[in-house]
Amino acid sequence: MSDIQTTNQAILVIGGGISGITAALEAAEAGYDVVLVEKNPYLGGRVAQLHQYFPKLCPPNCGLEINFRRMRQNPRVRFFTMAEVSSISGQEGEYDITVRLSPRYVNEKCTCCGKCAEVCEVEIDNPFNFGMDKTKTAYLPHEFAFPMRYVIDPSIACTEEGKKCQDACEYGAIDLDIKETTFDLKVGSIVWAAGWEPYDASQVEYYGFGEYKNVITNVMMERMASQNGPTGGKILRPSDGKEVKNVAFVQCAGSRDENYLAYCSGICCLASMKHATYLREQYPDCDVTIFFIDIRALDRLEDFYTKVQEDEKVTFIKSKIANITEDEETGDLLLEGENTRTGEQIRMSFDMVVLATGMVPNKINMDPLPDVLFDDYGFLIYDPEKAGIYGAGCVRRPTDVASSVQDATAASLKAIQSIARR
Amino acid sequence: MRKNGNYDPSFAREVFENVDFGDEIKMCMQCGVCAASCPLSLQMDHPPRQIFTLIRAGKREEVLSSQAIMLCTSCYTCKVRCPRKIPVVDVMHGLANYALKNGFVPRKDTANFGGKFWDQVYRIGRIDEKDLPRRYFFAGGFVEGIKNTLSFSDIGIKMFLHKRMKLLPERKIKGIISLRKMLDKAEKMQERGGASV
Amino acid sequence: MDKKTAVYICTGCGIGDALDIEQLKENGTEDFTIAHCKDHSFLCGPEGLDVIKKDTEDEGINSIIIAACSQRVNYDVFNFGPDKIVERVNLREQVAWSQPPKEEDTQMLAEDNLRMGCAKVDKMELPEPFKAEEEYSKDILVVGGGISGMTAALDTAKAGYQVLLVEKEDRLGGFLGKMKKTIKLPYKELTETGAEEMIKAVMEDPKIKVYTSSTVEKISGGPGIFSVDIKSNGNSATEKVGAVVQATGWVPYDANKLGHLGYGQFKNVVTNVEMEEMAAAGKITRPSDGKDVKNALFIQCAGSREPEHLPYCSSVCCLVSLKQATYLKEQDPETVNYILYKDIRTVGQAEDFYRKAQEDGNIFIRGSVLGVGEAGDKLYVEAEDELLGENIKVEDLDLVVLAVGMVPMTKPETTPKIKAPADSEDADEDGMMEVQPDSGFFATSALNLEYRQGPELPTLKYGFPDSHFICFPYETRRTGIYAAGCVRRPMETARAMDDAVGAAMKAIQCSEATAIGMAVHPRAGDLSYPEINMQRCTQCKRCTEECPFGMFNEDEKANPLPNPTRCRRCGVCMGACPERIISFKNYSVGMIGNMLKAINVPEEDEEKPRVVALVCENDAYPALDMAGIKRMSWSPYIRIVPIRCLGSINLVWVADAMSRGIDGLILMGCRHGDDYQCHFIKGSELADTRLSKVSETLDRLALESDRVQFVEVGITDYDKIPGIIDEFMKKIDEVGPNPYKGW
Repeated sequence: MSDIQTTNQAILVIGGGISGITAALEAAEAGYDVVLVEKNPYLGGRVAQLHQYFPKLCPPNCGLEINFRRMRQNPRVRFFTMAEVSSISGQEGEYDITVRLSPRYVNEKCTCCGKCAEVCEVEIDNPFNFGMDKTKTAYLPHEFAFPMRYVIDPSIACTEEGKKCQDACEYGAIDLDIKETTFDLKVGSIVWAAGWEPYDASQVEYYGFGEYKNVITNVMMERMASQNGPTGGKILRPSDGKEVKNVAFVQCAGSRDENYLAYCSGICCLASMKHATYLREQYPDCDVTIFFIDIRALDRLEDFYTKVQEDEKVTFIKSKIANITEDEETGDLLLEGENTRTGEQIRMSFDMVVLATGMVPNKINMDPLPDVLFDDYGFLIYDPEKAGIYGAGCVRRPTDVASSVQDATAASLKAIQSIARR
Repeated sequence: MRKNGNYDPSFAREVFENVDFGDEIKMCMQCGVCAASCPLSLQMDHPPRQIFTLIRAGKREEVLSSQAIMLCTSCYTCKVRCPRKIPVVDVMHGLANYALKNGFVPRKDTANFGGKFWDQVYRIGRIDEKDLPRRYFFAGGFVEGIKNTLSFSDIGIKMFLHKRMKLLPERKIKGIISLRKMLDKAEKMQERGGASV
Repeated sequence: MDKKTAVYICTGCGIGDALDIEQLKENGTEDFTIAHCKDHSFLCGPEGLDVIKKDTEDEGINSIIIAACSQRVNYDVFNFGPDKIVERVNLREQVAWSQPPKEEDTQMLAEDNLRMGCAKVDKMELPEPFKAEEEYSKDILVVGGGISGMTAALDTAKAGYQVLLVEKEDRLGGFLGKMKKTIKLPYKELTETGAEEMIKAVMEDPKIKVYTSSTVEKISGGPGIFSVDIKSNGNSATEKVGAVVQATGWVPYDANKLGHLGYGQFKNVVTNVEMEEMAAAGKITRPSDGKDVKNALFIQCAGSREPEHLPYCSSVCCLVSLKQATYLKEQDPETVNYILYKDIRTVGQAEDFYRKAQEDGNIFIRGSVLGVGEAGDKLYVEAEDELLGENIKVEDLDLVVLAVGMVPMTKPETTPKIKAPADSEDADEDGMMEVQPDSGFFATSALNLEYRQGPELPTLKYGFPDSHFICFPYETRRTGIYAAGCVRRPMETARAMDDAVGAAMKAIQCSEATAIGMAVHPRAGDLSYPEINMQRCTQCKRCTEECPFGMFNEDEKANPLPNPTRCRRCGVCMGACPERIISFKNYSVGMIGNMLKAINVPEEDEEKPRVVALVCENDAYPALDMAGIKRMSWSPYIRIVPIRCLGSINLVWVADAMSRGIDGLILMGCRHGDDYQCHFIKGSELADTRLSKVSETLDRLALESDRVQFVEVGITDYDKIPGIIDEFMKKIDEVGPNPYKGW
């Protein structure tokens, strides 16, 4: 499948989110060959799903666009989507890599004209929007998808529906006979930027996520606020599609909790404050209440905290929420907690509740595992004794975009050092 | 508007060292989840989190005479939910015990009920649904006893009708001697500080 | 370059259905005498590409106009090698997908787009990379020898590059060298600082040349050819480097400003830095009498998160106090430590160390300090205990530690002043005005750049020379100079080390890219650079003042002296120049001007207005594409011209367009202001400012200033595009046709 040839002078980057993209580009722009492997059908990872960045409230696609342009014009970066590294062997300076390519069923002839989606009638839960809406089984993952190429869901690959899509394509771009393939690479060093996944909020059973429709997570909030999200950018109550008037944010939904995630995920305070600005922009009358243990807005992000506090419709209450119950008739949610400043018991009702869930580092699914160190929580630890594989971004610590990019830039130099040592 | 108080670290140390599970309080980060999880927190003068704050501040009197520490019904919700895995239930029981031992009777009725309950179990090995309330109701004198009894007469009649309460007194269980031995031993163990849940 | 141009029109993706291709070929190329004009139903497919490749080989075609999809897609497919000019004309997203098919207006739009493409190629040359006469250096200068500086030096050396490390003290180490212990991943225990080993490693590394007791007296030149004058102990040396890492660190916030917390009044009130020094020196004791510390209280956010002191959070003070409380517990487990805090901010895995500090029995009080006082030989602290709901007093204290925050070394003690421009309103009676932080004249001396726009890196508002961009934390306004560690933003030791490695990466990358004439971020890889026709320069200074990256120096006669290796290729200078003498080989005032002239302007009675949209190619242009992909529709009378940055807009284009009878001009660019999104810093702001001055031009032409408008369009604003355009068209309709039509 792949005619790619690399030597032990090349760098492998695993993961095509903002950390992986950065690590790949920084090394390539310094003159090194890089191969980037991403498991989704598009690059951009979690960042592509965000509506805005804090504290500037600017769209992540802006930076991604610059990065994709850097990538487009730099022949030193080659990337593979729907690809996963299935094995790593060897050591610093001489790794043998096997990459597994899942079939996209759409080849490079795709012009993105959209004819296949027009005829396709079978729908699946849209993974890009966390299943909050449906997408066709012949689909473009999202408008800004890079590479801009359609995907055929495997569920229709061998069906009449698949055939229908294939027939609709005027360019011979749909090839339902594509099979999973593998190819081998030689590289000198590896940047591990596999990213994170949101903590499964249903684990915290007393918050009722998955049971109560109007309890959503922070990552779902991002999709809901995005123009290309399930509601076209309008924040609406999932149960009845109504506008919201009174929204609660439950901080540390699983984080800083030894029963779930003992560490602090670092970004959720600012994410919720950012979401408060989304709500306040859309609904001038909406009340927002943020329930927290400690507000953790490091360095000049404190300014953002100050700014959000100035909004009189946003209230901060120091309390870990202990219980959420649903009013079955209205779909409203009753939150219970203790206001630790006043000692009063809280029983407050809201239209919608957003759980500030934390980050869990993505696991390495490989047998045998490469020779790397992990901490208690599954984050990758840099160990100078085990040079050759370097973590970047949220596989090392739960952190925001700026720190991930900074970390990925550092990881690319470490990867270059491994090659320089040869 | 605010009371003034001085911090006194000696009580915290006392609790850490002498109260069963007392040193677990160190881990409290004051999130308040225990208070809000507690079915009785509205009845408590100081829900668990506040108790921990008061200990930290050194308010010995206020903590040991608090009725909250006697009210815990051991539902374990707080212990299950505490993000720092503090065994809040055990701490509350530990404090209750410690208070009693030090001559604090934070809630007379609760302590009284507990005492009568214990006596009866020790005496006959079971609870007599007529006898225990009678002893408990009349502990404060005859007039008080009649008042208390009348206020519970509805429930009493219903219990008779549903055959939940017999007219005749309960008998001692078989093997009451062995039970008393076990209870004696448990008490001794507790005194040595060896018992734990 | 002897240009041989060909046009290839793709008829796939609905283009063929929407347009009359034969007419397009004829009308779209008529003025450009382009003989080769072909169409293909699937141009990006193998057969379509073969047609083009064959023409390049057989016919010597070297300038290729692809009239098909947007330039954002199929970039790799339509790449025919570095010796070919390729220009993309958008007929898909912005024509076939957003306009009704087979309409006259749609056809005219496509024809204009193709004509503009032809006009552009007509003026375009292949860029030749800039090569300085001097020899390039790839050595890296690191200023500052603390943890960040040493890490940057070591990691640069490990990648095979030579390093110069300049430290003003007589020994390396900085704050790291003054610490007893440090706390880092996995945040379970205190660890040794490793300072001595690190200093030794730096000193012994053959690739690192260390200058201690030294300062940088001057840096001149630009990336790849920086010349650095170093002064050490009265001697001076001059070195050549390719790029610079500034790791000059931080100073603690001046505790003398915290008199209300007893500092300076009571000997036993110390800062966290003094506490660390005491710990590192041996035993922590009461400074007043050297006696043991039994009870200590840490006041967190001492001056931090306070508007009148440091409004920001210094990130590290929570961990530092927990560390220092651990010192006291290690010294004597019976010590009682109180930590008076606003929020405990131990993010990420550092939460583990908070837990450890709790396990140690430290007493945490959430609240704010009211005062510090002395009773006998003991201190007391009064505070509002937020969780107890009481005002409290903690007595019998031997030591009160103020957790003071970090101030970047770059922050001047008093705001510097410069001579105000003649017309400035901010001038004081001496004609001086305060320097703003984002000026190169603001920061404290460290680099002494010989730059017209000031000797230091511009900073953000609190004095940190940090990036303004979330997605590009090493973005810098002085090309090839990167800040690292606590001078960039407050950070703990472990993070400073990571940060330094990243900055080293950027420095290496810059020196490598510069050596082959390539631009660095955000137009990484661009080989073009601005060339100036000096004969016509009027010394107006606009280019030297407006360049966001300080590319130009100036001689005493105010002639601009370009330093092309500092250039980021945004074209702001090109837009600024009233004489239009600055141009790139592939981007010039004349080129865009010709594109505007290539638009066919119908006669007034045809009632087909013409509006030009000059759009930022990074944000607004993709947004327009997205609107097309979503099959949104807008006025067919608008002609979209992508440009590098709105800052490159030269006002002559407005005149060009208006004098040709164009009815209106709309600029679509990035948000500006405090949270600006322009990746060339001030591009869109400059455009807006220039536009406000354009009314003058319009007046001269006797035209209404409503004909020009600036709108902020972000990349995700595609849903707003039709509305924005329709509204502008309505306004143009109200204003009426341009009277210059048909002249």
